[in-house]
Amino acid sequence: MFAWLESTQIAQWVGLSLWGYPMLLSMHVIGLAIVVGLFSMRDLRLLGVVGGLEPTAYLSLNKLAWTGFTINAISGCFLFTSQAMTFISSIPFLLKISCVVAGMLLAVVIQGKLQRELAEADYGQPLGNSMKLLALGSLCVWIGAIVAGRLTAYL
Amino acid sequence: MLESFALSIVDGSLNRWIVETYWLWPVLEIVHFVGLSLLLGGLIIIDLRLAGLFRSMRPTATHKLVPLVLIGFGLNLVTGILFFYGDPLRYSVNIGFQIKMVLVVLAGLNTLFYYRKIKPVMHSWGTNADTPPVAKIVAITSLSAWGGVLLFGRLIPYVGTG
Repeated sequence: MFAWLESTQIAQWVGLSLWGYPMLLSMHVIGLAIVVGLFSMRDLRLLGVVGGLEPTAYLSLNKLAWTGFTINAISGCFLFTSQAMTFISSIPFLLKISCVVAGMLLAVVIQGKLQRELAEADYGQPLGNSMKLLALGSLCVWIGAIVAGRLTAYL
Repeated sequence: MLESFALSIVDGSLNRWIVETYWLWPVLEIVHFVGLSLLLGGLIIIDLRLAGLFRSMRPTATHKLVPLVLIGFGLNLVTGILFFYGDPLRYSVNIGFQIKMVLVVLAGLNTLFYYRKIKPVMHSWGTNADTPPVAKIVAITSLSAWGGVLLFGRLIPYVGTG
């Protein structure tokens, strides 16, 4: 199946056209900045590393983060086609995808928790340890995604 | 100027160390990517509020993210200089790198303007208020310049000499 994917017209265009691969890579780094940027700001706020915005203010940024994720899912699929066989058997690549999935699942859990927080009567109470643990986990998997993603090019 | 500087550091001790330490380049890249996430993450929030979007956020509260932005910039300045020292002859003549550096300087000047003209009056804006046109221009300039930095940075391996 992955061999077939590499032989498709789309994969050929990504791999061989002058601008296909570099342009998709540029889109991918812009999407990365949006997704990892916004989620890491949220996580560092939840961990109490920075102050300023209310934790629930980050709820309004969720749509933008998901837009970044969509940019990267699309550009990532295109990039994948050009070397599908190599990527699918690359340990760093599979680790990266696992980290991204974990990061997005954690984002859904954190979003739900923040929404409940906003609805609660004792709104404004200090954040519980479970929220901090989720934020720490999220921060770790996004750093993991960057580490594994970069290593995909080397290992 | 850049080229003669590049020639002067080739085969220097720092250049040799970077070239000969096989694990260093990927580690620098990882730090550079983490740095760009901190830099852009903070700036996206600050600039979008400055542009008048996400009005439920208090403008002065978004400014509290500046230390993270500066940490990201610091990480990328240090790793960026090490990239240059590791491969000076390639970077100095690369059009993608040159445009990227011009955009970084433009973004820096824009930040200076923000500190002189916008930051001092920020506290007078209401929590849910729109922002003045000059703030919107600063925000759009910042996001465009940094977007361009990402774009041209990623194109460095693919574009030729200037």
